[in-house]
Amino acid sequence: MELKTATDSQFQAKLDEQKDLQRKFLKRIVLIIVYVLLALWAVFTFVPLLWMLSSSFKDSSAITSVPPELFPKNPTLDAYKRIFKVGGLGRWFLNSTIIAAVSTVINVFFASLAGYAFSKLRFPGRNAIFWVLLASIMIPGQVTLIPLYILVVDTFQMENTYAGIIVPGMVSVGSIFLMRQFMTSLPSSLIDAGRIDACSEFGIFWKIILPISKPGLAVLGIFTFVAHWNNFFWPFLVTNTNSMRTLQVGLTSFRFENLQDYGAMMAGAVCSAVPMIIVFLALQKYFLQGITIGAVKG
Amino acid sequence: MAEVKFLNIVKQFEDENKGKVFAVKDASFTVKDKEFLVFVGPSGCGKTTSLRMVAGLERQTSGDIYIGDRLVNKVHPKDRDIAMVFQDYALYPHMTIRENLGFGLKNLKTPKEEIEAKIKEAASILSIENLLDRKPRELSGGQRQRIAVGRAIVRNPSVFLFDEPLSNLDAKLRVQMRVELSELHKRLEATIIYVTHDQVEAMTLGQRIVVMNAGEIQQIATPEELYEKPNNLFVAGFIGSPPMNFVKARLNGNQLHTASYTFTVPEEKLKMYKKYDGKEVIFGIRPEDILSTKLMPSVPDKNVYHVNLKVVEHLGAELLIYFDIGDDQLTGRVNADAKLKQLEPTELYFNLNKMQLFDPKTQERIY
Repeated sequence: MELKTATDSQFQAKLDEQKDLQRKFLKRIVLIIVYVLLALWAVFTFVPLLWMLSSSFKDSSAITSVPPELFPKNPTLDAYKRIFKVGGLGRWFLNSTIIAAVSTVINVFFASLAGYAFSKLRFPGRNAIFWVLLASIMIPGQVTLIPLYILVVDTFQMENTYAGIIVPGMVSVGSIFLMRQFMTSLPSSLIDAGRIDACSEFGIFWKIILPISKPGLAVLGIFTFVAHWNNFFWPFLVTNTNSMRTLQVGLTSFRFENLQDYGAMMAGAVCSAVPMIIVFLALQKYFLQGITIGAVKG
Repeated sequence: MAEVKFLNIVKQFEDENKGKVFAVKDASFTVKDKEFLVFVGPSGCGKTTSLRMVAGLERQTSGDIYIGDRLVNKVHPKDRDIAMVFQDYALYPHMTIRENLGFGLKNLKTPKEEIEAKIKEAASILSIENLLDRKPRELSGGQRQRIAVGRAIVRNPSVFLFDEPLSNLDAKLRVQMRVELSELHKRLEATIIYVTHDQVEAMTLGQRIVVMNAGEIQQIATPEELYEKPNNLFVAGFIGSPPMNFVKARLNGNQLHTASYTFTVPEEKLKMYKKYDGKEVIFGIRPEDILSTKLMPSVPDKNVYHVNLKVVEHLGAELLIYFDIGDDQLTGRVNADAKLKQLEPTELYFNLNKMQLFDPKTQERIY
């Protein structure tokens, strides 16, 4: 009898072991599938970038050659020379930098002010106003584009100026929403403590709330910078001279009636992407944080 | 230093679901100069709201608040000459401890040397000198608590406000900080208003205690008075741990009839209860006034009964015993030497010299 139970338990152990192995095997299979899918996705997103980079070093015949060359046989910097000399890429770069930087600072400032008010201050109609603002996100940009154009160009006479590009984008509801969600998670007792510590209302915002909101501000800053750097349509609408063009707008000037200078466009795209890639690599931590901000409090 | 006066204070909140809610209903009282006054009550009773109204963080719906001789209804918190310690400490996470302590004074444009001197003084009182250059996140809960107190001390206010400052600490540290706060009060000779939901904290710290429930002040009294002469059923049940036992009873002459037992009321008490002769009352007796006859030199001739113990809890020096009278469960606290056992019958003496009777309708104590 005893012997039998011993074999029973041995058998059970064997069975458990087998099950364990099966489980491990399954886990490994799933992992392999996940990695293969991720690798495919990485290739899928990386190839166009690589293509852009390699094309920018090709001469114009190599770009359109069949079969396509993934790596240029005779690498050349002609395209880069062209965009700097003919196009004025330096100027566009400067324009893009100024516009994206100024827009970012203004956006972050206003969004954090509004976010603070909506999350921490008590005033009549607070929620109503916030919901109206949120609802306005649902209005497509195309609907307001023409009125906005008339306002900026005809009424305020800001065509072809930095102000014309920056002013309409100084505040965005999305940014306000992000900052509100972030600031809701900050402890209100800090604000009370600030009041007792003789801080003015703006002082509380400036000396207490802003410094502890750095992670939120960084995320918003990156998002806004990237959005304004990549913005094409609005700067395209309100600028009409080469010297006022931003990088994204400028790149289109290498597309002519029947002819497209792919080399120059690719070189320009590389120049436009490099700052973003640097920003991303440097601030990757905040980028990833930004994806979950607002979703998880605290 | 100063006294704080509440005159007919009402605070109403607009609640989305319940409509208008009273957080504080017509509260009037005076906190004496240099007094340690404790607000105690269950959560949502209006004690923190009262404190925040003193601080100026909350505006009362009606009524007047005086700090010293000054009407402060419309005075900004910074000008009220108060300092507050928050439940979650509310230390500024991006500042060092030194900056945290000096922040208020800096905002008040105090000269740098004076700020530094005050920080030093507060740091030595609380023995936190070695923490001054750290950030709050590098400190333990107890240390943060001290810094929060330090931030109040440097302001040298007339009135200190404490909002449940010990509730985030573990039990051992809480006892230690309780002693320190008591000492601090003696040392600073300041008026202190302290809010807690913990009646032990209230009893040990407060010179006087304000018991609140549902926005109403139930009683303002010294700890001894609250314990011996509670105004009503709420106070009697809230103060004391385990709480006072309540049993439905009927008074007939000097006989108090409950569902299972008939108690004899002491002569000297009967005078107070004359009006309730023949009426329903609620009989209150504290757990420590129920004694095991095993430890008495001689068994008294009255108010001794056999009971079946449902549960016996061993607390070391004492036993908590649970038994029923009719539908009411009673708790007794007896010396552990009585060696009482669960589910065994035992003989208990009810010391009615310390009994209380309450009116079942008004819930007020009969006296």
